[in-house]
Amino acid sequence: MSLPIALDAMGGDFAPEQIIRGARRAVDELGLRVTLVGVPDRMGDPLGLEVVACSEVIEMDDEPGSSVRKKKDSSLVRCAELVRDGQASAMVSAGNTGATMASALLRMGRLPGVVRPCIATPIPNPGRAPSTMVDAGANAECTPEMLVQFAKLAAAFAGARFDIARPSVGLLSIGEESSKGSPLVKATHELLAADAAVNFFGNVEGRDLIPSPVDVIVTDGFTGNVALKTLEGALKFVFATVLSAVDVDEETRAAGAVLAPHLMPTVTTLTPEYQGGAMLLGLNGICVISHGSSNDVAIMNALRVAAEMDAAGVVQKMRSAIRPDEGQ
Amino acid sequence: MATDADGSTSLDRDAILALVRTQLAEILETTPDEIDEDIPFDVMGADSLALIELVEALEETLAAQVAGFHIDDEDLESLSCVRDAVDYVTAKLNLA
Repeated sequence: MSLPIALDAMGGDFAPEQIIRGARRAVDELGLRVTLVGVPDRMGDPLGLEVVACSEVIEMDDEPGSSVRKKKDSSLVRCAELVRDGQASAMVSAGNTGATMASALLRMGRLPGVVRPCIATPIPNPGRAPSTMVDAGANAECTPEMLVQFAKLAAAFAGARFDIARPSVGLLSIGEESSKGSPLVKATHELLAADAAVNFFGNVEGRDLIPSPVDVIVTDGFTGNVALKTLEGALKFVFATVLSAVDVDEETRAAGAVLAPHLMPTVTTLTPEYQGGAMLLGLNGICVISHGSSNDVAIMNALRVAAEMDAAGVVQKMRSAIRPDEGQ
Repeated sequence: MATDADGSTSLDRDAILALVRTQLAEILETTPDEIDEDIPFDVMGADSLALIELVEALEETLAAQVAGFHIDDEDLESLSCVRDAVDYVTAKLNLA
């Protein structure tokens, strides 16, 4: 029997109710094993799920590093410890992103050779596997060597998770030519182009994020986070515009009823709660970070992603990608 | 760290310096020789999480030598380079 996934019941804007409900759905609808980690007095009804009790909660506005050190019996830290100690196959949290990363980093540790962990976020491609953007916000300042490592980690992840034989890697820049971009981008381009272990496509631009011609989009955490939030905001605006356009009068509502079945599959694909959250790459364990505003559907999908990452052996694939000689 | 005749372990500044350089090198995936005492942490690529990693590693190692050894989070902001960290730990251990 596979190990359960440790779920931070206390993290997220709608915790613990929506978190626990999502866990229950993952058990009932996906057949997953889930262990809730939370403060019993604050959790309410665990809906029959196994609970690992803790006494503290890292709040959304707590400082990540120091909170992990001060709140050693918090739900986040305990989740990471369950993975470290081999009692859980993965951890999932919709709580404080920085503290989730710190907990996972400090308790699970980095894979050998990994300088910094990074955040990978799937960007949907209607009709085919999502692209993986990395780094989506963990490291605001990066070196070219870090970006090359992120590219390898994300390619290993995308290959295992989406069953892609040799994932293509694009470098986010302001032009397709290798001469375009910041000093960081130009130096990274040179390294990626020279690295036989990377299936380097070349530069991609902001307009190539969705749909994307590549399987992996690599950039620094500052740019990645801005790009991702821009995309999210733009999609929300487009959805809202379409919804209001088909709700003006009887005629537009009738048109909307005709269009809805054709639009909904794409809209669903593009909705964050169906993507299952972001993944921390480069650690000696699986950590999925769900959106802070996660509802039960988002949590269920985050748990699904964690289970799929475990089944695909993502950690071992990343280990081999960074240290090919040691990972066999 | 040297082992004394009575079996106890002595911690002088050089030993602490060697320990800090070794542990920081592991975190930054480099060699201790590359860790300069006076280069600011951020210039070396050690961000806040890397420093927390260093602090936790130091506490784990030193607590085995000196019971209850702890680095206060409030003091971290004053540590900008390896020399600061070594001086701090040395003073904390009353070895100055």
